[in-house]
Amino acid sequence: MSRRPAAPASDAAVAAGSLPVVDDRAVRVTVAVVGGGGVDPPVVVAPATASQGTSGDPLVDGAPVAAVLVHADDRHAVLVHDGDHGANRTHVLFGPVRRDGPDGVQLREVVVHGWLVEVEIQSARRAALRDRARRGANVAGHGGPVEIRAIIPGRVVAVSVAAGDSVAAGQQVLVVEAMKMQNELRAPREGTVVRIGVAIGDTIDVGDLLVIIN
Amino acid sequence: MTPPFRRVLVANRGEIALRIIRACHDMGMEAVAVYSDADARARHVSEADASIRLGPSPAAESYLRGDLLVRAALDSGAQAVHPGYGFLSERATFAAAVRDAGLVFVGPSPEVIAAIGDKLAARRLARQVGVPHVPGTLEPAGTTTASEVDGVIEAAAIVGYPLLVKAAAGGGGRGMRRVAGPGELVAALAAGSREAEAAFGDGAVYLEREIRPARHVEVQLLGDAFGRVVALGERDCSIQRRHQKLIEEAPAPGLSTDERRLLHGMAVRLGAAAGLSNAATCEFLRDRDGAFWFLEVNARLQVEHPVTELVTGVDLVAEQFRLAAGMSLSERVREAAEHAAQPGAHAIEVRISAEDPARDFAPAPGTITAWSMPSGPGVRVDTAAGAGDRVPPDYDPLIAKLIVYAEDRPAAIARLRRALGEVEIGGIQTTVPFHRAMMEEPAYVEATGLATTWVDDGWDGSRHRARAVRLASIAAGLAAIDEAGLGRAQSGAQAASGSPVPADHGWRATGRADALDRWPR
Repeated sequence: MSRRPAAPASDAAVAAGSLPVVDDRAVRVTVAVVGGGGVDPPVVVAPATASQGTSGDPLVDGAPVAAVLVHADDRHAVLVHDGDHGANRTHVLFGPVRRDGPDGVQLREVVVHGWLVEVEIQSARRAALRDRARRGANVAGHGGPVEIRAIIPGRVVAVSVAAGDSVAAGQQVLVVEAMKMQNELRAPREGTVVRIGVAIGDTIDVGDLLVIIN
Repeated sequence: MTPPFRRVLVANRGEIALRIIRACHDMGMEAVAVYSDADARARHVSEADASIRLGPSPAAESYLRGDLLVRAALDSGAQAVHPGYGFLSERATFAAAVRDAGLVFVGPSPEVIAAIGDKLAARRLARQVGVPHVPGTLEPAGTTTASEVDGVIEAAAIVGYPLLVKAAAGGGGRGMRRVAGPGELVAALAAGSREAEAAFGDGAVYLEREIRPARHVEVQLLGDAFGRVVALGERDCSIQRRHQKLIEEAPAPGLSTDERRLLHGMAVRLGAAAGLSNAATCEFLRDRDGAFWFLEVNARLQVEHPVTELVTGVDLVAEQFRLAAGMSLSERVREAAEHAAQPGAHAIEVRISAEDPARDFAPAPGTITAWSMPSGPGVRVDTAAGAGDRVPPDYDPLIAKLIVYAEDRPAAIARLRRALGEVEIGGIQTTVPFHRAMMEEPAYVEATGLATTWVDDGWDGSRHRARAVRLASIAAGLAAIDEAGLGRAQSGAQAASGSPVPADHGWRATGRADALDRWPR
């Protein structure tokens, strides 16, 4: 599973001090990126602050949002939130917390409207500190190389780029045959191909390293 | 009534194998399942009366091994073999092998399967009986000599551009190429032929005019051994992507009684001319002017057969068994055929597959961690999947069919919205969010945008997913805060105590009423 650092916008905001001091109780929710998909911006959720008076709305990215989570059990909940015509009820299916490591990052699956979303949850303060440390270590603006790993087993039927090639975001990199179909793997963003880990004809398994793009 | 057979070998897997086993048990027949290593713990195996291992997981070493299937049928004492759909169901050699072994093949005869499976022969037959086929060529395109290629280029000019190069021996869009102009023709013929050869063992291709936009409308046929062929109504399967169907319904929206009669009549004429017995489906394209053009005949039971079953009240698999045993079309079938042009109900099926609608429906195999399917009035679920199942990459990603029926289309759509809201699947991404979105899509709900190109042109999965991601992130954040005891915890117990929202919560009084009622006072 390839992971990306937080979207630049919130880092810049924190660094510039334009966001309020990160609440100790705030959590940052980042969508774990699997196999080079699109970028979902992380979301910072904080409980209502005393200074809001009787408002009591949680803060999402610093702004109050009328939402409350009503649990039925540890897997089923309903998110009641403002919609265009009164309140919306969105059923939420939670998977178990899968990782609760010493680094304080939790991993769990959340299903909303049939969309399966893998999220990483950690203290927002700790996440911001970690970002700052990582940014210091990186020279490239992109934030480090992206590893594209296989998410389905199959067979490589075409390799469209070579080490050293420049690629544009969305450019086809590999074609993998699996489940009776040909699946095109595309570069998640622009960059340079560092290495191709497979060749035509190779059988690949889930997790195999396919391409590294810098 | 005596069952048509004592024991049946079900030569398939997954939901359709379970469907066939259920029909067997409904009729008092024993069912023998077959399985590959990947399916050793599958539900179709546990529901059968006996099971036989075929081999390792790849289909080519198991479900496609006709010799092993025939051997399994003989060893198990079965009298009949039901092939289901896909796999060997349209392989004439398999049907013949079953027959040669002294068993009954539950489907059309090998000769009819061969005749109908050749799409060019079917088109020529359509022409013979006066059924208009999609304009194009009726012979395989010659690509070996220069004069042959010249001939194809000439024929293509008559067909007109843009046109489609299609495989004579197959379907599902494989071997198919769209050709925008004469410059692309030769390359498309070569590529299409290569793909067809790889997929079907036959590289013959032909040309068809592209009808765009088109609706996909098909007719369910049943025929008996006495030459009688009837139509049990039509289905609309226009919502598909890259020629894989996603949503099907019966009847096809917006057709008049006369149009239905015309369509059914054409299908019956073709089926009768082909000598059809047992079940088959005659596919047509309906162009924007409302004309029907014959596409092809599938000489087998289709994935979407339940919508016809629910509208007509006919159990198609049970009928297949009766017809295979040499009985004539049942009374129920003949009555249903008589009313087929004026159906009194509407049914819609959505295919739930392990595919990601935000990544162009890329396969999403994995392990199902949570599984709960809807039920209640007018809801039917055909599935063999359950919690804990691993969706293997070796087979088709279809894991469940959710079908609803109601008195008319708007009621069916409302019911499908309700049923989709009840679906809970954890651990894998499925096509459920696509179906939920389609039930809100005006082009579908008002049946104005039905066309086989709609999904490929108009579906933006990332946009739909982005909204869900935001809600999921907020929910996950609130859950983490609750669990850490940092905010106001909301539990079911508190909700049960009367108000889901504590009195001192920031929502205004009307907001609180909104949380309780769907319609504010």
